[in-house]
This record gives sequence, structure tokens and C-alpha cells, in this order.
Amino acid sequence: MPKKYETPLLDELEKGPFPSFVTEIKKAAAKSSMAGDELGQLEKSYRDRRGYWKHGGIVGVRGYGSGVIGRYSSLPEEFPEVANFHTVRINSPSAFFYTSDSLRQMCDIWDKYGSGLTNMHGSTGDIILLGTTTDKLEPIFAEFSSRGWDLGGSGSALRTPSCCVGPARCEWANIDTLDLTYNLTQEFQDEMHRPAFPYKFKFKVAGCAVDCIASIARADCSIIGTWRGKIAVNQAEVANYAKSGMNIQSEIVDMCPTKCMSYDGKELKIKDEDCSRCMHCIAKMTKALKPTGEKGATILMGSKAPFVIGATLSWVIVPFIKLEPPYDEFKDLVRKMWEFWDEHGKNRERIGELIIRRGMREFLEFIGVDPVPQQVKEPRRDPFFFWKEEDFQK
Amino acid sequence: MEKEEVKQKIYELVEKSVGKKKLKSSDIQKTVSADAGITRDEVKDALRDLIDEGKLIYTYFGGSFVEIPPKE
Amino acid sequence: MDLPQRRTDIGPPHYKDFLPPVIQKNYGDWKHHEVLSGGVMVHVGNSGDKVWSVRVASPRLLSTDTIREMADIAQKYCGGYLRFTTRNNVEFLVSDEKNLGPLQDELKAKKYMIGGIGPRISNIVHTQGWIHCHSAATDASGLVKALMDDFADYFTTKTLPNKVRLAVACCTNMCGAVHCSDIAIVAIHRKVPKIDHDKVKNMCEVPSTIAACPTGAISPDPGKKSVKINDDKCMYCGNCFTVCPPLEIHDPEFDGVAIVAGGKVGSLRSDPKFSKLVVPFIKNNPPRWPEVIEAVDKILNAYAKDAIKHERVGEWIERIGWEKFFKVTGLPFTFQHIDDFVIARETFRTSPAFKW
Repeated sequence: MPKKYETPLLDELEKGPFPSFVTEIKKAAAKSSMAGDELGQLEKSYRDRRGYWKHGGIVGVRGYGSGVIGRYSSLPEEFPEVANFHTVRINSPSAFFYTSDSLRQMCDIWDKYGSGLTNMHGSTGDIILLGTTTDKLEPIFAEFSSRGWDLGGSGSALRTPSCCVGPARCEWANIDTLDLTYNLTQEFQDEMHRPAFPYKFKFKVAGCAVDCIASIARADCSIIGTWRGKIAVNQAEVANYAKSGMNIQSEIVDMCPTKCMSYDGKELKIKDEDCSRCMHCIAKMTKALKPTGEKGATILMGSKAPFVIGATLSWVIVPFIKLEPPYDEFKDLVRKMWEFWDEHGKNRERIGELIIRRGMREFLEFIGVDPVPQQVKEPRRDPFFFWKEEDFQK
Repeated sequence: MEKEEVKQKIYELVEKSVGKKKLKSSDIQKTVSADAGITRDEVKDALRDLIDEGKLIYTYFGGSFVEIPPKE
Repeated sequence: MDLPQRRTDIGPPHYKDFLPPVIQKNYGDWKHHEVLSGGVMVHVGNSGDKVWSVRVASPRLLSTDTIREMADIAQKYCGGYLRFTTRNNVEFLVSDEKNLGPLQDELKAKKYMIGGIGPRISNIVHTQGWIHCHSAATDASGLVKALMDDFADYFTTKTLPNKVRLAVACCTNMCGAVHCSDIAIVAIHRKVPKIDHDKVKNMCEVPSTIAACPTGAISPDPGKKSVKINDDKCMYCGNCFTVCPPLEIHDPEFDGVAIVAGGKVGSLRSDPKFSKLVVPFIKNNPPRWPEVIEAVDKILNAYAKDAIKHERVGEWIERIGWEKFFKVTGLPFTFQHIDDFVIARETFRTSPAFKW
């Protein structure tokens, strides 16, 4: 029988309309003494206004260096059931689609070996199984892997790639985000499970510039779908939007960042050569506007949270690349990037930080990409720049 | 070079660095391939064997390293 | 215990096995979609087929009981198909229109919040907090619960000039895209780490600990086989603590949260933007952090009142100017708002044309 704790502070968070995480922990605590002690320790955190967890260490499943994150209570005597409370990351399926049966299967395993608490999903996109002990790791892995599930990434490794809903349920997808995510994950299993990078590496795949997966802000390699061609305009549907109350001039034309559109009350015109494909007009008038022509993606690199040099957004490396199975051109490019990082990267240095430290030129030359204006917002402002011997021969 | 010999070299390298410097998988691959004049892939393959056998393990301390498992 | 044979390097299950038939059939061939209410949209294929998505909030932290309940609901109305969104919402995928009403009735009866679609507040992206993280300076789930209770109407029905994306990070490590959200809470420390020299000697690598510091505040202390920290340079980020746990950074007295605003990730109308500091510090006041709610309220209300339709928070602020933002929100401007991190000068104003 799980130990019961008085939780007056947390009980406050069971009130109100939004679903309560406290209720979730209590549901799990009705069955699991680990979840019970999690609740007890959390109440203490609320009282003392500080966390009581320690990280790191040497937990994992045999052969893998990733997928399990060691977590220990710093108050093991007070909360013995969470003395070991490790996280298991399960690689989620592309775009987080599930069947009822697959979810039930997961729940059955997790109830048997862990706290019954999960995150659907963690920030990177894994299914997070929150809280188990070291001796349960091998059984959990055997149960999951024998049913077709594998562990996700952690540590200095490729992290679980993730993507937006893409062509599964969105008319704006320029690339097959689900297939590319699945394909990359399968191709780079070794890089995911046996950490050999200087630090973490994340792929996030977005079908268009709306970027519902926040690829540009949180992926070492951001893959964002785009097109090369005109926007086809269905004038009858434009008229329908106008009729239903949309102010085409102020809501669409005036908000276009490139001023490439005009509207005379009857016809919406687009000067396609000036369009930057930002998606505003298409997102607001999805029935009227459709990209046409060649579909592909822009490859950007380097985004990450603030540690160590300050937060970065990904910047353009390859303005346009076709992305169709088996994605060989892209995979070759990725391998070159990793080679550069392996050669020069320091421990805990993200690839974007390395590119900034060594310079874009060195990186671009290494991976074999030419300099183009699409890679910068503007040329440099300073008069300090390197010349190499080969530049003099040009 | 025989795989067993590569494994021996890897193990010795890790053993030698105990208490001095934690080694990353890529440190091992670079050092052993250069010393023994073999490819990175050969080292990687031998390292994988050592880890599958449990002679070496991955650890995490703000980054992933390869170490000798603690004696219980 | 009899265990099945483990397999390695098989990767995740194939996504096609989890797609409802209507999606398999219309994969990559969708024509358009329409938002029907705060939590319901319909996608129409070129074939004429339709799929309705009913979105509900989740606290992200889910018990197996709740997941089973969701699975049962999907079984009953959706042929057993559902998905999760990037922002931890759940979407029930309906291919038979007559199930749409009964599904929503059951969800409401079971107290699920239906919403999060269109120009509204969607679920808050957040981190582990005190529930499971070693470096948390606040609890993420509690803040999210308190904020979403307050903004529940903006999730379910009420609309805003555009969508508003909120995020909570429990330390400056910022798991998740907190640095590019319309409004985000990030927990901070404000005191220099206390060094346990004996433990540093045994547990930490001096070079990687030094390298972890963004401001160059850490140097070797060879006598103690440890490190020392220059108090004048330390900005309390806590990165050293992650690399070397004996550099204790937690201080309940001084830890708390900052609020940042004006970020976005989409490229619509304007380039993706970072969130910028608007409130440098609010003390942790669990379980409901009322001072944080009040400050976020001020920003959201000013935005709702002033912004032009389709403007995101950051676009609105750029149009009116930051000086006016502080005026209309009534939030005080302090020394902490002026950047003095390593890339500071980018944000200094270099024109005499500004508002009072």
C-alpha cells in the first residue's frame, strides 16, 4: 500500500478548469508507491520552494549509452521509493499518431515496471516514462523492444527526431515530414543509441514556414519545407473570403512583408518573384491560395537554448534542397556536417556554436556548399575579413 | 589487426585515463585509430563489442563518456 | 521472470500503422481546412473526404489511467485513432461526422477542456520543474496550471488578435522553445554557486567546468584541486551546476522567475524572433504564483486591447515600440532590462527617434 502524504499546497492545484497534474500523480499514487513518494517530495518542494533531484550517473540498458536518464532523490531517507527515479525515453512515432491499442500496450508495461507516470511528450518529442529503478530497466527494454518500440536519444547523441503533422493532415506540407523523420531515425540508429558526438544533436522537420514544430528555435538542424514556383490564386475563393467579412486589403495585402500583392476589390494579384514565401496570405486564405512548382526544403542550422553563448535561431545553410526518398543527398550532407563537428568540436559544444567559433566559411567549404546571399540577412559591417591563398588566384 | 587486439588497446586506453580524463567515444576512436593505423570504423566496431559485453559502459556527466564499470 | 527477447536498433514503429484510414487515403492530398470552433477543425481532401480534429488540453504529465481513458474515448468515437500535438494537446480524429457531437459531449462530461485552435491561447509548452529536474528554480507544472486556469476562456472560446504561445522553463537551460514564445516564464537564480571543494575534487572535471561558464567567471583553484568563482562576473546561469553538481546554485530565498515576451517561431509577416525580458524577477509563490499571473495578465490585456488583427505579441510591440510597451503595461523598466551579457550592444538604441 503506497504511503499517504498530506498535500495541502498541491491540493490547491486540483481546483480550476485546466486538467490537473496533481490529480494525475494522485491517480498513479493509488497504485504505485513510487508515485506516492513523488507526490510527497513534490509537496515538500512546494513548501520549501526548491527541487530535490540529482542527475547523471551510469544507468542504462546494455549496449546503449542513451535513452535512460539517471535521476535520484536528494532525500532518499525521507522518500525511499524515489531514491532511484529514472527516466526512460521511448522513441515516439512520427507526428505523434497512436492507436488506442498501442497506448494501452504501453500503459500495461509501464504499470508493471514503473511509476505509472508519463509525459506525452517530453520537449524533444520522446514518450517519457517518468520514474523507475535500475533493476527494471532491462525488463522494460525487453518488453518494449520485443513489441516494436525502441529507446530515444539522450546525452551526447542524436536526439529523437520529430516533425509537424505534415502531409498526414495539412494542406501546406511541402515535404513528407513524417517519412523523412522516420527515415532519418532508422538511418542513424547507431548515432542515437551510442553517444559519439561532442554534444546533443537535434533534427526537427517542419512542412512549411509556419513551423508548428518550432524547428527554427530548437534544432541543430532545422528542415523547413518550401517551394520554388508561383502561388496559384483562386479568384472565386478570394471573393468568398471578402464576402464572408475578410478585409483583403488590410488583413492580407498590407500585412505582406514584401509588398508583392495588390487587390482592386475584384482580383488579387501576386508578383511571385518578390514573394519570400512567409505563409501569411496562404495561412489566412487557405482555400484561395496554393503554392505550385517544385517542392523541397530550406536547411538551417544552429538553434539552441541560451547555454553557453546565448540563445540562437537556426540560420540558412542550404536555401533549397529536394527531399525525396531515399534522401541520399541530404544524408551525405549531414554526414559531412557531423565529420566537421567530430574533427573540431569540444565537449558540450553544439554544432552551431562550433560554426560560429570556426566561421561559416570553414564550415561551408568543409561540407561543400557555396556562399549565397540567402545565407545572410545582410553582408558584414566590419572591414575585417580573411583572405586565403586560393582567393588570390581567382 | 585482429579485433581482440583492438579491444585490448581500447580497454588499456580507458584504464590509463581513469582519474585523469573522462574519454568520449570519439576520443577513443581518434586515438586508437591513429595509434594502430586502422580505420575509425574498426575501432567503433571493437568498442561496440566491449560495451555489449559489459566490459566498458557509457556514463553521463554533463556529456556522454566511456568508462570502466564500477566494481560493486 | 520470463522476459521476451530484446531487440536493438529497431527504431520507432512505422507511423503508417497508426494513421486512421481517412488519413492514409488522403495522405499528402489535403485541399483545405476550416476552424469550426475553439477546439474543432475539419480538413477536407481533394477526394472530398473529411477528417475532424477535436483538440483537448492535457497537463502533459499523464497517468496511465488517463491515457487509457483517452484510448477508450478514441476507440468509441474515432475508430481507435488519436494524436498528440507539439504543445501536448490531444487530438481525437473523427472520420464519421455523426460521432462529432457525442464525442464532444463525453469529453465535456469528463471535464476535458476543448480548445486551443485558432487565434487563442494554446497549451503551454513546459519543462519538468520540481517534479523531476535537478536544476529547476521553480515548478513548471504548477505555474502552467495556475496560468491556464486563469486563461481558460482564451483556450476554449474567446479570441485574441492572433494565437498566443506561452511557455514555462524551470531554469535557464530552457528545455523547449521558451526563448521564442509570445509570453514565457523562465526561472532564474540570483546568487553565486556555493562550492563544496571536497566534492568538486572527486566529482568534477575542472576544464569542462570552466568551459561551461558563459562569462569566464570560473578559474582553477590548484591548491584545493577545485575551482573558484569570480563573484563579479557570475550571472547565476547554473550551467556549471549541471556539469559539476557540487557547485550548489539553488537558493530558495533568492530563486524565482523572470517573464519574457515578444518571441515567435513562424516566419509569417515577420522573421522569427527571440522573446525579450519584460519582468526581471518575481519570487516563487507556490502553489499559484499570483504575482506571475498578474504580470502576464497585464501583457495579455494590453495586447488584446491594442494589437491589430493578425499581429503576434512581438509584432505588436515592435509596431508600438518597447518604450510604449512599458507604458501601456505599467511594468517597470530596470537596469536588468539593459543587456550586459556578452552580446549586449546589438540591443542599444542608435537613433534619437523614439516615443515618450
